[in-house]
Amino acid sequence: MPVNLALGHVSTDFLIAALVIYSMSVVAFAGDFAFGRPRRAASAASGQQAQDRAAALATVGAAPAGVSAPATPPAPPASLPVSGAPPGPAAPPAAGSAAPESMPEVAVPPLRAIRQAGRWVQAAMALAAVGAAAHTVAVVTRGLAVHRAPWGNMYEFVTALTCVAAIFFLFVMVKYRAWTLGVFVMGAVVVALGLAETLIYTAAGQLVPALQSYWLSIHVTAMTLATGIFFVAAVLGVVYLAADRNARRAAAGRAASGNGIMRRLPSIEQIDRLTYRTIMFGFPVWTFGVIAGAIWADQAWGRYWGWDPVETWAFITWVLYAAFLHARATAGWRGRRAHYIQLLGFASLSFNILVVQIFIAGLHSYAGVS
Amino acid sequence: MLKSRRRPVFVAAAVCAAAALAVVLLTGLAGGGNNGVTHVAGSNSAVLYPAGHRPAAPDFTATTLTGSKLAFSAYRGQVVVVNFWGSWCAPCRQEAPVLAVTAQQYRPDGVSFLGVDVRDDTASALAFTRQFGVPYPSISDSGSTITLDFTAVVPIAGTPTTLVIDRTGHIAGAVFGTATQQELTDILAQVMHS
Amino acid sequence: MTDVRAPEADPFESPAEPDEPGRAHRDPAGGALGLAGWLKWGWRQLTSMRIALVLLFLLALGSVPGSMLPQEGTDPGGVQQYYTSHPALAPWLNHLGLFNVFAAPWFAAIYLLLFASLVGCVVPRTFRLAGSARTLPPRAPRNLTRLPRSAEYPTTLAPAEAAEVAATVLAGHGFRLRRPGSDSNHGDDEHWVSAEKGYLREAGNLLFHLALLGVLVSVALGGLFGYKADRLLVQGTSFSDTQSALDEFYPGRFVTAHDLGPFTITLNRFDASYITSGNQRGQPSSFDARVSYTAQPGGPARTFDLQVNRPLPVDGAKVYLIGHGYAPVFKVTDSRGQVVYDQATPFISGTSGNFLSQGVVKVPGAQPEQLGFTGVFVPTAIEVGGVLESVFPAADNPVVSLIAYAGNLGLNSGVTQSVYEMNTAGMHQLTSAPQLLQPGQSLKLPDGQGTITFTGYVPWVSLAITHDPGQLPALICGLAALGGLLLSFMVRRRRVFVRARASGPGTTVQIGGLARTDASGGFEDEFASLAAELRSAHSQHEGE
Repeated sequence: MPVNLALGHVSTDFLIAALVIYSMSVVAFAGDFAFGRPRRAASAASGQQAQDRAAALATVGAAPAGVSAPATPPAPPASLPVSGAPPGPAAPPAAGSAAPESMPEVAVPPLRAIRQAGRWVQAAMALAAVGAAAHTVAVVTRGLAVHRAPWGNMYEFVTALTCVAAIFFLFVMVKYRAWTLGVFVMGAVVVALGLAETLIYTAAGQLVPALQSYWLSIHVTAMTLATGIFFVAAVLGVVYLAADRNARRAAAGRAASGNGIMRRLPSIEQIDRLTYRTIMFGFPVWTFGVIAGAIWADQAWGRYWGWDPVETWAFITWVLYAAFLHARATAGWRGRRAHYIQLLGFASLSFNILVVQIFIAGLHSYAGVS
Repeated sequence: MLKSRRRPVFVAAAVCAAAALAVVLLTGLAGGGNNGVTHVAGSNSAVLYPAGHRPAAPDFTATTLTGSKLAFSAYRGQVVVVNFWGSWCAPCRQEAPVLAVTAQQYRPDGVSFLGVDVRDDTASALAFTRQFGVPYPSISDSGSTITLDFTAVVPIAGTPTTLVIDRTGHIAGAVFGTATQQELTDILAQVMHS
Repeated sequence: MTDVRAPEADPFESPAEPDEPGRAHRDPAGGALGLAGWLKWGWRQLTSMRIALVLLFLLALGSVPGSMLPQEGTDPGGVQQYYTSHPALAPWLNHLGLFNVFAAPWFAAIYLLLFASLVGCVVPRTFRLAGSARTLPPRAPRNLTRLPRSAEYPTTLAPAEAAEVAATVLAGHGFRLRRPGSDSNHGDDEHWVSAEKGYLREAGNLLFHLALLGVLVSVALGGLFGYKADRLLVQGTSFSDTQSALDEFYPGRFVTAHDLGPFTITLNRFDASYITSGNQRGQPSSFDARVSYTAQPGGPARTFDLQVNRPLPVDGAKVYLIGHGYAPVFKVTDSRGQVVYDQATPFISGTSGNFLSQGVVKVPGAQPEQLGFTGVFVPTAIEVGGVLESVFPAADNPVVSLIAYAGNLGLNSGVTQSVYEMNTAGMHQLTSAPQLLQPGQSLKLPDGQGTITFTGYVPWVSLAITHDPGQLPALICGLAALGGLLLSFMVRRRRVFVRARASGPGTTVQIGGLARTDASGGFEDEFASLAAELRSAHSQHEGE
């Protein structure tokens, strides 16, 4: 079937629109930092920390002697701070008092939380959502234009994965009230998309016979999803390292702990946990993508694994993310070191897409970039 | 849960399992190796099959290089030397004079020679037979179907290969590779007097 | 330090199995470590998470040169080129095994150690998991409000009844329960329920790691019992799957040529179509090889449309369309007027694009001198500044350019030669410049040496025949690993406790809960909804 060039142009137009709208959302997120409602990030975070410590030290063993934990009142179960409330979590009555009654609070519903967060956050979230919608339209029309899944060359791949990253992070921001991280992730999406548009733009076109298979919809889709998710995790990892460095410097007295941006971010543990959950989401998708790729390789090339450069780097990426998951369970390797590993994994992923597919000859050279 | 005395046993079992795994893997993953055979001569080995252990040669009909039909069953009752060759095959060119001389030498004893020309075109093949004065006919096996039939009973690995078939139509001897005069005469001596 | 610390002892593990390697056991006599002590220490180190981490890094690092340097298995020509361009460095790299990384002993050592570490860790845990299949959750602690999640509310039910209701609700959610046994004194304080859930997490974790081991074994199986073979087939010709008819044959260690399936394949027709206009001009759009085959000699002939993503399954193996090219047909007449060569000669395309191909024509049967020709086949030829270039991959304007030689091809000495290369050392050149021929044209050689006619061209395809018995097991293990991974990520181990204490006329119900520390979260919501459900259950029973 011939390529529908007109629809291809429509796709590009929607992509440019998405780029502009995302940029506006980034400005709005930044505006929230500068002009938005003050946030009690630090105190709510310390409440969360206390909770974590209690969980860590609680030894619920066989001995009836019971728990040996400091008596800290449990904080409400909301994951990340909601602004506008007075400082400190609502303290339940102390245990053991007469007629005790305390039930865990149900979290504030997301839309109300966004509204409570102030106009800048509302604007930023709305713009990000509209941008993601435009981005999705761009990806879909590209697919319609070429009558196949729209990830057949590097340009299409980057376009699609940034769309996955944006939608995924919108979901994360809503579920975990993580809009203070919005400026970083959406900013990274803008940069990646902008580079794709300017440097590796490829007009809508047909695929070479080797890629004409329904496995494109399975293998490359999985890789696109996983890369988009790992993209978000990588940005969060950078934020973590910056926040961690700032906290260490503040503890050493070399920097004021009242650094504006840092105060407004979630706590280090929260960012760490968010990153961990993101990678836990992406790792099975990546694993599935590698398996699907192996099945396709067997269909096309006669062997399911041949240590082709792209296959090798996909393996290296997998091993590094596995190392991250291991590091999280190894004392002394959590925190900063684990995030270095995670970022190394994303670096190898990016290296695979940007360098290995283009410059290293192998069976897998489908970038479409000359 | 486990008594501390049993734990080392399980650990030992795990180690043994790992060791066994290692052995399997080392032989498997480093395996295969570069056994790549390109369509040239195999190893230079002559083989004899003792009576009673001789595989039966397959029957076939084919066309000779000059275009006439040939049925292998017509050779039953004679000793036949079947030589697989090609004009492109350097070791075949090297052994061709030996085969021609041996064919002439054993013709009075009723030994027939038959060539099987593999992966070749007729013009090049005929030029080969002219050049080396090959006194016996060859059949064309460009699709290797006759080779396939013979490989079912003897391990023909490449070209040239020479098989000696006894009077009952069983393969009595083989040279996997370039045949020397000595090898041919040794095998023929055995076959003709068995 | 602001690094987030993991607990030294996970409350969900028994104290005997920390993640960290313990100290080596000393000889009871108080002397230095004996050999057994060192071995135990070594084993503990190997199966520790830290060493597993290091081995994972080494595995990733070790794979890097395998992707950057040309490897013997996939690109032997590239390895040769590396030797010529880096003559000093290449032998050193070869000593280190860097031209065949994935078969190198040091790479094998890394993944074998990793799997030994895995086995040593996973096997005891599997036994423990099996053993814990029937262990009960621990007793409920005294003060549940000290737990990370807790709730408290009054009810008019008696403590025993409140505990019963709570047990029913929790059992309905699939928790494994523990109630106070008959051995403990039923004092006022002994109405409690312990509930635990999420044992599948460890099972999923173990399944994942064992499945990875299964993948490795499957790969080894394929290496031992599988094979790979290649064959180039010109249109209009056929071949049988027998060792002497294959161009390359790589059998596994336990494979003999006898394991090849007895099929015969004929290439009836090969078509390649390319995009003719637009900015993708010249890009292939389809490859189609129409073959007919018999699965065994004398069997029924079938046809099949062989394409890039569509292999032909036959006799337990699969035949793949890997590549294609052009085979110009030449007819050579020697000085005596006899036709001494008449066949399609496969030419191989290099990297110059658009299927500009090179090959040789060896005519050892020519008399009195053997003839040889080196040639370039240009599918769509355009002369640019005196140089022939191909501007389109289809044969729209085929031209062949030949240089003729006469002399000794070197074939009669018995030394094997490649059919794509010619050694002109024993030959002299007959034509001073390359001669161009279009289809149908002939080149008359000087001194009446003969004629070569370029009669036409036909396509050829390259086929790969592979058999891998480890393929299906590897897939199953891979999917099992994925399943185990999902289980271990999605299932959380958590404990909920309920205590009912008499207070006044009624009972105070205390609920406490905690989840494994590195759980992915979400327990807060689950606990909140459980607490609400318990409360409403108690209220319901109050009404009765």
